[in-house]
Order: sequence, then structure tokens, then C-alpha cells
Amino acid sequence: MRLKVLTVDDSKTVRIIVKKSFKGFDCEITEAQNGVEGLAMAAKVNPDIILLDITMPVMDGVEMLTKLKSDPALKAIPVIMLTAEAGRENVMKIAKIGVRDYIVKPFKEDVLVDKVSRVVDLRPAGEAAPIQKKIDDPIDILVVDDKPAIISQITEGFGHTPWNVKGVSSTGEAIDYCQKKLPDCIIISLSLPEDAAITLFRIIRSNAKTKYVPLFGLSVKTAVEEQARAQQAGFSTIIHKPIDFEELESKIGKAVNLDASGKYFDMGEGFMTVKLPKSCNAAVVNEVSTYLKAKTSEAVNAGISRIIFDAQNVASLNMDVIKLLLHSMKTCRDLSLKYALTGNDVVVEESKKFEESKDWKFCDSLETAKASI
Amino acid sequence: MQQTFPISDEELEALATNSIDSVFSTMLERSAILKQVIKIDEANHREGIRLPIDANTPMIAGTVGFLGNLTGIIYIFMELPLAMEATCKLLDMEESDIGVEDHELVNDAIGELTNMIVGTFKNDLSNKGYECRMTIPSILRGSNFSIEPAEVALRRIFKFDCEGRSFVIDVLMKEEN
Repeated sequence: MRLKVLTVDDSKTVRIIVKKSFKGFDCEITEAQNGVEGLAMAAKVNPDIILLDITMPVMDGVEMLTKLKSDPALKAIPVIMLTAEAGRENVMKIAKIGVRDYIVKPFKEDVLVDKVSRVVDLRPAGEAAPIQKKIDDPIDILVVDDKPAIISQITEGFGHTPWNVKGVSSTGEAIDYCQKKLPDCIIISLSLPEDAAITLFRIIRSNAKTKYVPLFGLSVKTAVEEQARAQQAGFSTIIHKPIDFEELESKIGKAVNLDASGKYFDMGEGFMTVKLPKSCNAAVVNEVSTYLKAKTSEAVNAGISRIIFDAQNVASLNMDVIKLLLHSMKTCRDLSLKYALTGNDVVVEESKKFEESKDWKFCDSLETAKASI
Repeated sequence: MQQTFPISDEELEALATNSIDSVFSTMLERSAILKQVIKIDEANHREGIRLPIDANTPMIAGTVGFLGNLTGIIYIFMELPLAMEATCKLLDMEESDIGVEDHELVNDAIGELTNMIVGTFKNDLSNKGYECRMTIPSILRGSNFSIEPAEVALRRIFKFDCEGRSFVIDVLMKEEN
């Protein structure tokens, strides 16, 4: 999957320089001219990293950073400030809000690339992309933790998936394991003694064989200092304990570039069904949206002309889901595809509260929906 | 009447040359040599001064202000051919890619170059204990410029040469109480 970099700068020159800097890498650069556009673009494309200027009209970089860090759906996106403002007071203020690094203009392009590659896995363009696995394919997850209970918990947490979890208790065992078998991702406890997590991170990242393996830090939510040290060392994703397995599964799927479309899209008997899960948060809606266009094309090419949007499992209807459905239904109309909606009692009731969805007609089962179109 | 200023002429010259060196060498891979320093005060230039550049040459001027313990404004006056060369180098483009009429791209590039120069100047001031914030860059185009400040404690003009082409930095600043 191409790395998504969002550059937010009022100067077109800087945005062109950023594009130029990453020309040789497997990157997709999106641009915004100020903080307002930057926030909108971040929500739309869910970038892997943001390069952010400070002095901008409309909304400056500090305000955008503050808003980004207070948005649950966006706060995990790492931000590197790229700015001419480097006074001590400025740096301290921004560091408190939470940035991963700071580049002062003027800057060399290779410095920019180097700093970004410390935060995200930057791959040269044209490097053979690994064959994309599906969400229900087996993958190997290495967990490095000296607490056996945590390893057991993670093994059980992924019990419903075909994923293999291998637990080891020390950095030495982890390195031995990686030499024998390359895991698809590694979860490292940040509370290993003597900063062993950071040492292991550096060893893995400096080894040609393992340098692109996604790494997650694992930490108790309140261990802020430990997490800050890990982020400074280069950990881009930190999982908090107690572990939210739904969130972890989604993060691993994204990091390992698993094709998760099978979770949401089903084709057969002349229908494509878009299955919305119980928890339809912004990340899920974004994931469904990512696949929607390609899956609709696939359906049309397979001769399918009827689509069912199945919201029977959805626990609560929110504006993100409504926007997704509005967009999907418009696509169906544009392509002359027939469609129907299914929903449970809660979804039907909640749909009446929104202007955009108050007139929607829901079927109570897939069979009824199929029969209606 | 002029106030006494907390930064000496030597320090100010070092701030100007360092910011030019830093930006020109990093972004343009060029060097610039300081050729002339003009000290302006009420006694010698009560009504402003003509800039030490050919009045008939089309120029582009980038300007960025700063506000804080020290408040001021810095103008960078650049001959249009030098501005075009700088834009090409910054964006890795040929002059033919940009076009003489593409003012927007050249304006933006010179605005950003000015932003970086004033940013470096301001950051050095910050290291000396003078915290300031910068304004957004703006651009002027024309020829035969003359700046007549309303009220300023200190004004210095630095003329540089960059491989045969001239440009001028006009620094106007005062200390805030």
C-alpha cells in the first residue's frame, strides 16, 4: 500500500519541494493550504504522516495540531512540523501538544526524507510489492513481553482469526525468531527492563531483512513517559493496555496491508452485499469507503447490478455512516444500479432523526431486501 | 528622536549574513557576498533613501514582519532574473517550464525564500533572548522602490552579490517596551 503523506503549507513552493523530495519513494502526497483544509484532508484521506507548517492564514499550524490531537479519529496520525519558526518558546509549546519531530526551514531534501523515514516505513518506488494477503489469511504475529499473561491474552484475543501468535520474553529470543522466520508484525512491550524495547526496535530497523516489518509498542495507557521515549526512538504506533482487540485487529490489518474488503463485501447470486459491522466508527467507515469504488467496479464487471447495504448489525447510526450510505446510494444511481437497505429497529428509529435519512426505507432482512429489487 | 538599540551593528550584520548564507547554501546551493552596508538615521536620511540598486531594473520584493520584544520588517529586493533563477533552482524547473508571465509561482517561491531568511534571522534573535512571531510573507513587484518608514529605531541596508547579480536586504526594527 502506498504511503500517504499530507503536506499542510500555505506556500506552493514548499508543497512542490515536499513532492519532489519523495519522488523516488512509494508515496502519495496530498496537499492542503491551511489548517482548516489540513483537518478536512486528514479526515478524508487518513494519511500515514502529516508535515505541518506553523505560520499560515485562516488557521495556523498550532491550532490545527491542537484540533488534530483532540480528535479521537485523527490523534494517532504522526505530525512533523516543517517551519521557519524555531524559537525556544515555540518549540516547547508545540512539543507539549505532541509532535514527532521538528524540521526548521531552510532544509535539505534528504533531511526531510530521513526524518520521515524514522517515523513511517518509507519504501523506494518500484520495490516489488509483497503479494497482498487477505484479512482471513494466516499471518504471523510476534509478541515480545516478559509477562506470560499478556501473551496469553493476545493469543486468546485473536482466537477468532487465523492469525498465529508467537510469544517470546526477551530481545534475544525475538532476534533468534526473526532470523528463522520473518513475522508479519511485531508487538513489543515497552516495559521490558533496561529499555530493551528501544534497543530491539533499533536492531530490527537496522537489519535489511526486518527493517520494514511493522512494529507496535505495547504500554499501559498511563505510562506516558515510557510512551514518549518510545515515540522519540521511532515507534509510530503504540497499543494501550487493556487492549481493545477490535482496534488492534484493524491497526494490524492496515500495517500489514491486509485486504480487509472480505469483512464488508460479499458477492453472489447476482447481488453485492455491503455488510456494516456493529461498531461503525470513523475508522471503519473510512475503511469501507476505501474499498467501495473498486468493489463496485468489480461487481459491475461481474455482471452484478443489485446492491444491498446491510445495516442490521449496526449498533448506532451516526453521521459518518449516513454520509457513507448517501455517497454509496448516489454512486448506485449514477451507475443505474438497483439498491436496498436493511436495518434493525435502532437504525430505523435513528434514521428518522436526521434530515438526510428521515425518508429512507429499510427492509428487515436480506431476503426481503433481495426480493424488493 | 532615535532610541538606543540593544543589538550592535556587528551583531546585526552577522544576523543578516548568517540568514542569507544559511538559506542560499541550503536551498539554492549558491553563495552570496556582502558588498555594502548602509546605516540610515534621521540625520543622514530624514526622508528615506533610494535603494542601492539600478532603479530601472524590474525587481521583486519579498517582505515578512516580526512581532515581539523586537518588532520590525525585513524586505528582500531581488532583480527579476535572480528571482527567476532562484525559483527554478528551488522547484527543480527550467525557466521555460515557468514562463515569464507566471507571476504566481515566482512570487510564491520568493515569498517562501523571504520567509526562510527572516525565519533564520528571527530564530537567531530568539537565541539572543528576543522572542518574536513572524507574519505571513507578502510580495511587491516593480522598480524604483523607495521605503520611507513612519517610525523606526534602526534601519540598515545590506547589499549582496550572488554570482554577478545583486540583491538587497532592508532591515527596519525597533525595541518594544
